[in-house]
Amino acid sequence: MKSVLFFLALIQLLWGADATIEVIKGVEGPAPIAIEDASPVSNDLSQKFSKMLAADMNVLSLFTVDESYATAPFDALNPAANHKNAQYLLRYRLTNDSSGGVKADIKLMQNGMDVFLKSYVLKQSEMAVFLSHAIAYDINGKLGGAPVEWMKRKVLFIRLSGPRRSDIVAADYTLSYQKVILSGGLYGFAKWANREQTDLYYTSLSDYKPTIYKMNLMTGHKDKLIVSDGMAVCSDVSEDGKKLLLTLAPNGQPDIYLYDLTTQGKTRLTDYSGIDVNGQFMGDGSIAFVSNRMGNPNIYSMRPGSSAVVPLVYQGKNNSSLSAYKNFLVYKARENGATFAGNSFNLHLLSIDSGSIKRLTASGENDFPRFSPDGEAILYIKQEGSRSAIGVIRFGVNKSFVFPLKIGRIQSIDW
Amino acid sequence: MMKNVAFLSATVAMLILSGCSSKEPAIDATANANGSSVGTNANANGSTTGTDSNAVIAPVTNANANDASATNGTNGSDGQLVSILFDYDKFNIREDMQEPMSKNSALVKDKAVKLEGNCDEFGSDEYNYALGLKRANAVKTALVNSGANPDSITMVSFGEGNPVCLEKTQECWAKNRRVDFKLP
Repeated sequence: MKSVLFFLALIQLLWGADATIEVIKGVEGPAPIAIEDASPVSNDLSQKFSKMLAADMNVLSLFTVDESYATAPFDALNPAANHKNAQYLLRYRLTNDSSGGVKADIKLMQNGMDVFLKSYVLKQSEMAVFLSHAIAYDINGKLGGAPVEWMKRKVLFIRLSGPRRSDIVAADYTLSYQKVILSGGLYGFAKWANREQTDLYYTSLSDYKPTIYKMNLMTGHKDKLIVSDGMAVCSDVSEDGKKLLLTLAPNGQPDIYLYDLTTQGKTRLTDYSGIDVNGQFMGDGSIAFVSNRMGNPNIYSMRPGSSAVVPLVYQGKNNSSLSAYKNFLVYKARENGATFAGNSFNLHLLSIDSGSIKRLTASGENDFPRFSPDGEAILYIKQEGSRSAIGVIRFGVNKSFVFPLKIGRIQSIDW
Repeated sequence: MMKNVAFLSATVAMLILSGCSSKEPAIDATANANGSSVGTNANANGSTTGTDSNAVIAPVTNANANDASATNGTNGSDGQLVSILFDYDKFNIREDMQEPMSKNSALVKDKAVKLEGNCDEFGSDEYNYALGLKRANAVKTALVNSGANPDSITMVSFGEGNPVCLEKTQECWAKNRRVDFKLP
């Protein structure tokens, strides 16, 4: 008996160092919701709209979503026969309006009581998914969910369609809506020029030298911003849209430059003889960037006007891209030494103030992280062989969602 | 005996509690919420009352398609010039590339040349593009050391955007990590 006790005590001592007690409180899942089509005619658009709303309700993470399709009268108090268990009913009625658009009446009921009622007008039915996102945004606001302002934003991405061929595409965050806005050359690093998403910057690699253009989305007018031998990338746009961080390489050395759109003057911020790229404005006025100055790519910071460079990340040996929001960074780290297939790139969130690091993705090739303008979510590229997907990580609900691209591979994204 | 039983029970209970302490935050809880559909080609000028005034996209297509050159097999360079290959994550010219480098130097010595740096498909970020540029710059340095005029050499990095080989094999990726020579 003594020996058994001694053995058990020994095991307890060995495990004791990491011992924590996990208390799991038994709670019910989120309230069930069902979506019902109350349109006068159930057609292709109205049926697709049910799927769009279901997808958005899933992403809101406020409900357990019953994705089964059903029709019901708009003002009926009771749910359709297959939605008897739903606590919430989201009912929509799509009708053609007099100006050739679509009118959408929306009602959210909880146990038979109206909690949200609103009408929308969509001028182009092709953009119905943006209407779905707007409805989800409003319902989330009504029910006090974690902010989802990013849901309504347009995602800009570069799709590689073949050797030396790519398209610049505007989409919604689920990729249900996609619109090619520029094709016929090799483009890279498309980035919104302002919060209103009326203009964008992109690099053309089809010109004799890499060239950054600014393009207006409505008119298609393009202005040549800057040309550089070797490399020219718009890495970041300041919050007021008046300053840019560029990567240029006039002498074959990629360095970070601050470009003032008002004066059209540029200032070289780094002069290391290796690689300095991917400059990002930080909340405290400093600049975060990727450099291989210690042999491997890692994340550093500096202040304009000062030559002092400070490492920000002390973990990993290959941290090669980043996005910044105020005093938070999300960066990509190579997880192992494998040089080819089986390599794993994961995203990590760093709080500059506390120094804490949290891994955001578990496996695979995760690339090109981008904070939403409000810092509530991260958009990133998930590469799967010759295919790509767009991922969204929501901090407020600690969940991530992935939306695959059917054709082509994504080079860069922004929102 | 009762004491022993009590101690044993307590120890076993502690073991059970401490043995299940692996607690990771919920990550990658992937929910494929909506299948994608490609190529909605409508004139996208829509808005909604209420909150969404953000959905206005005008049609613009086919800008400057002034580069019609296609890749040709495993060598992306012009004429008798040979592409210089590089190791993964490296931009130094390998020992086995010294001979083709010398031949290329002789062929382009008095000519204008454009050096195009390329990478494999691992990473689409700026660092990968910079790696392609550093490869082109290493070739430029070798050309200049052989007597070429630095002002006659231009460079560009295509990152992973200009592969000569599209298979998912190590051999294929090795062919894509290269610098091509183009004669304008």
